[in-house]
Amino acid sequence: MSKGQRPIRKGSLYRYLIIIVALAVALWYGRSRSGPDLVPHMREIFPRAAAFEPSNGIYAIFSEQDTLLGWAASGRASGYGGPLLVVVGVDTSGEVAGARVVEHKETPLFFRMVRASAFFGAITGRSFAGIDYDYGEVVGVTGATRSSEAIVAGVKDAIRRVAGDKFDIYLPAPRYPFEFGILEIAIILLFAVGIASSYFTDSLRELLRWTSQVTGLVIIGFWKNSPITIAKIVSLLSGYLPDIRSNLSLYLLIVGFVLTILIMGRSVYCTHICPFGAAQQFINLIGGKNVRLPAWSVRLMTATRNLIVFAAVLAALAVARPALASYEPFAALFALRGTILQWVLLLVVLLSSLAIRRPWCNFFCPVQTCRRVLQGIRRKGADLPEASYCE
Amino acid sequence: MGFFTSGFFWFLEGILFCIFLLAVRAWTQDREIPMTPWKWAALVVWVFYAGFTIAFIGTSLGENEVSAAVRGGILFGVIAVVAGVGLWRLIKIGSGSVEQGTAADPEG
Repeated sequence: MSKGQRPIRKGSLYRYLIIIVALAVALWYGRSRSGPDLVPHMREIFPRAAAFEPSNGIYAIFSEQDTLLGWAASGRASGYGGPLLVVVGVDTSGEVAGARVVEHKETPLFFRMVRASAFFGAITGRSFAGIDYDYGEVVGVTGATRSSEAIVAGVKDAIRRVAGDKFDIYLPAPRYPFEFGILEIAIILLFAVGIASSYFTDSLRELLRWTSQVTGLVIIGFWKNSPITIAKIVSLLSGYLPDIRSNLSLYLLIVGFVLTILIMGRSVYCTHICPFGAAQQFINLIGGKNVRLPAWSVRLMTATRNLIVFAAVLAALAVARPALASYEPFAALFALRGTILQWVLLLVVLLSSLAIRRPWCNFFCPVQTCRRVLQGIRRKGADLPEASYCE
Repeated sequence: MGFFTSGFFWFLEGILFCIFLLAVRAWTQDREIPMTPWKWAALVVWVFYAGFTIAFIGTSLGENEVSAAVRGGILFGVIAVVAGVGLWRLIKIGSGSVEQGTAADPEG
């Protein structure tokens, strides 16, 4: 065994095995649950509906008098947390009678924002045959852009099927533009700076790190609100792979995060890119303190963090809703949106940052748990010390 | 007319503000902390900001907007506390007992 390499402890091996098996069972359970029932939603769209006759995935809706009321079809799209299923009703004149989201994996708070907006009302009553098939004004509910865009894509998918099958109108398939802009360029540059900084002098490395953190805080945090979250990790673990063309930034962050740890042994994302880490670092600079907690308390809090992450991931996989795992207060800081719990967590973390360096990273962050697992894999399964500061 | 909307309330507030500034002046003189005009300006700005935070929470609660009071209070309150700590360190510049920042590298 080479120097610095630790032996694989039986205890830790069993622990990893139990965790993997538990997660696999939760994933299997979540995915094996039966699909949603569309009928109640179609009944909401067509209140006079009495009979539903499916054909080629499109339901013909009939009244009690056996009059054809219209058709309904489901449409799928990829949302923030995973696939999203909508059902759209179209009446016999070709107007949209209504749309309902049947199943989604979005963060409840953000989905409620879309549902509370004028979003669905704007879709209803439109004639897909005569209009430009562009719901520009209903896209992009502020703060829930990804969710609202996914619903529009799902609605378009459903309408396209009804239009082609029942009206002989062939609408173009939804196009996902390849998004490569400032965010993606910034992520690539920040990873490059983080990787290259190992070869610079201390003062230059420090300067580059602060520059990177400011850039990450502004662009990935306050402007785009796109840090790595546990919901995104669980989404990928569940096999819900969002379209790379419109989610390139997510793939860049995840791939960069994993590869830098596996190759270099350190997380460039945490040190140079994470906007929440940068926010804590700045506040700590203002506070000017670095209180070192007793080892036992660090051990206790690290173990609690790992337990919380495990429970959150397990629950999210079991109910097949990755966004449920998300407990980070990132949106509260960067988008001013969050649950009361997330606001309180934000308060605690930011205030404690005055005296403790990166309290979120050390005691709460699920990405840190992933980092430790990846570092464990890099060290060929050797167990990492339980208590270690993220420094 | 309620107490908080009366002229007497603002009269009291003005007196308290003057007392606060006099107290700061006496305290800094006792500790031989040099108070430059920019330090006074920063202190006054901070006091007004902290007052705004308290007013925001109070007004929101008065309007039965508990959620706004909590969220706004947390957001503005954190900014006020962090800015207050930063101001504290700035004010102590020149007193001969300045604490040095200890931020070091997080190395992932």
